[in-house]
Amino acid sequence: MSATYDLIRYAQSKHRAFTEIVDDIDDTKFHFSAKDNLCADGFQARAGSAVLDGYRPPFDATPVRRLKQAGGQLVGKTTMDEFGFGTFSTNSAHGVPLNPFDPERSCGGSSGGAGAAACLIPGHIALGVSTGGSISGPASFCGVVGLTPTYGRVSRYGLIDYGNSLDKVGLLSRSASLIAKHFRTIAGPDPKDPTSCAQPVLSGKGKMPGSLAVPKEALQNLDPSILTSFQDALSRFKEMGVEVREVSMPSLRYSLPAYYILATSEASTNLARYCGMRFGRREEELNQHFNDFFTGVRSESFGDEAKRRILLGTFCRMVGFRSRYYLKSLAVRQLLIEEYRRVFGDHDAVVTPTMPFVAPRFEEIGRMKPLEMYGADVLTVPPNLTGMPHISVPCAYVNGLPVGMQMVADHWKELDLLEAASAWERSFIYRFPEVSP
Amino acid sequence: MDRETIARVAKVARLNLTEEEMERYAKDLDDILNSFSIMDEAPAGDTYSFNPIPVVDVLREDEPGQDLDPQVLRAQMGTYEDYVRGPRLS
Repeated sequence: MSATYDLIRYAQSKHRAFTEIVDDIDDTKFHFSAKDNLCADGFQARAGSAVLDGYRPPFDATPVRRLKQAGGQLVGKTTMDEFGFGTFSTNSAHGVPLNPFDPERSCGGSSGGAGAAACLIPGHIALGVSTGGSISGPASFCGVVGLTPTYGRVSRYGLIDYGNSLDKVGLLSRSASLIAKHFRTIAGPDPKDPTSCAQPVLSGKGKMPGSLAVPKEALQNLDPSILTSFQDALSRFKEMGVEVREVSMPSLRYSLPAYYILATSEASTNLARYCGMRFGRREEELNQHFNDFFTGVRSESFGDEAKRRILLGTFCRMVGFRSRYYLKSLAVRQLLIEEYRRVFGDHDAVVTPTMPFVAPRFEEIGRMKPLEMYGADVLTVPPNLTGMPHISVPCAYVNGLPVGMQMVADHWKELDLLEAASAWERSFIYRFPEVSP
Repeated sequence: MDRETIARVAKVARLNLTEEEMERYAKDLDDILNSFSIMDEAPAGDTYSFNPIPVVDVLREDEPGQDLDPQVLRAQMGTYEDYVRGPRLS
């Protein structure tokens, strides 16, 4: 067995990064993992939900297929919040991943297993999926780089949907250069996902942002250690010759409600397909009436947060409320896109901390109310809602725990973000926990 | 959110809720929706689209083909003499 395989097993057994791993690895290939909501031949695809126990898709999601064709080996599926419903990966039917820096703390969510795998295994590339911050969040808490591409840049074929107008497949790894290499492989049009077919060609080299905008509204209600770390990072950018300016983006305050309304509305319709027949096998009690069988399977199998989001989304779409909530949220998304565009008229990227605090302890998470948990997404939701590409990089360490910084660019400008992240890495040395499998 | 409303939402969502769940989710949704009332102040116009980027329709030639072996697909579901088994409809 190779040293890499030992690390993969360690990441699975000690940090619950994986739901399933291969029996052996091929050292002639590069190794990647897929979040468990991406279908892959030979593995279960359960998206963290008991309702999908036993579902084995007989095909590969397009990003998985493209990485395999480029010479990669899929070594395992990574743990996640049920259908992506969470900020801390604690809402999973298949194990809660434990932070590589401190196993009593969260990896972030919902691609928590991907964050842990990317941190613990040098050279590993993890496919993650973000709807409202599920790549940036784990990247921040696990001290790795996480790229969330523009909505539509990477095909969603073979992805188990959460919110169709929000879901994006991206990458987590220890370095921006590794992400840059594999991002080119997974990006590009795919006729099996029409939203990927309107994209401009990804070519050439990115342009290092010369001017960064810091929205003052994003610096409120942060843990003081995060604010200090972020200000130090901005000073470092200035030393690198980058202009940093404070701007105002007043519409950011509407992004969290608009996101949660759209995401849960879309999720509540997407999850209607889980009736115990089409995906995941349920053969007991077939003598029941269809509606009773269907309702029984859903009530038994969905977790607490999944039920909460289905109820919220169903309510927001109901007659009498649709205009106030759902249609208003769509209009707010447009407002925010225009606000970002106004800032991008004078600046190349928007930069903020990624999360308002470092990875919390599980006991702290256990005391949080649902609304407090949603509030933790306040910095990752705006680019996700508007489909803007963004990248999270480690920018400091507080009491040994990583702090993330998030840069957002205009639609389709992922290469500029990767250029900025690469320049950042030449100036700031990342730390990773010492591991002895 | 009153009991009648949460019960109606749960029925539409095809979820059976216990009394305890009904009470808890009604309270949670109340808290969440109250905090979302800030949306009423948003100076958003009538312009919106269902996706954050323009989306194009993609059509392919209507040619017969078979991407997956039907036997492989049937192995995913409960079958009886090649029919899919399911609960009764009436």
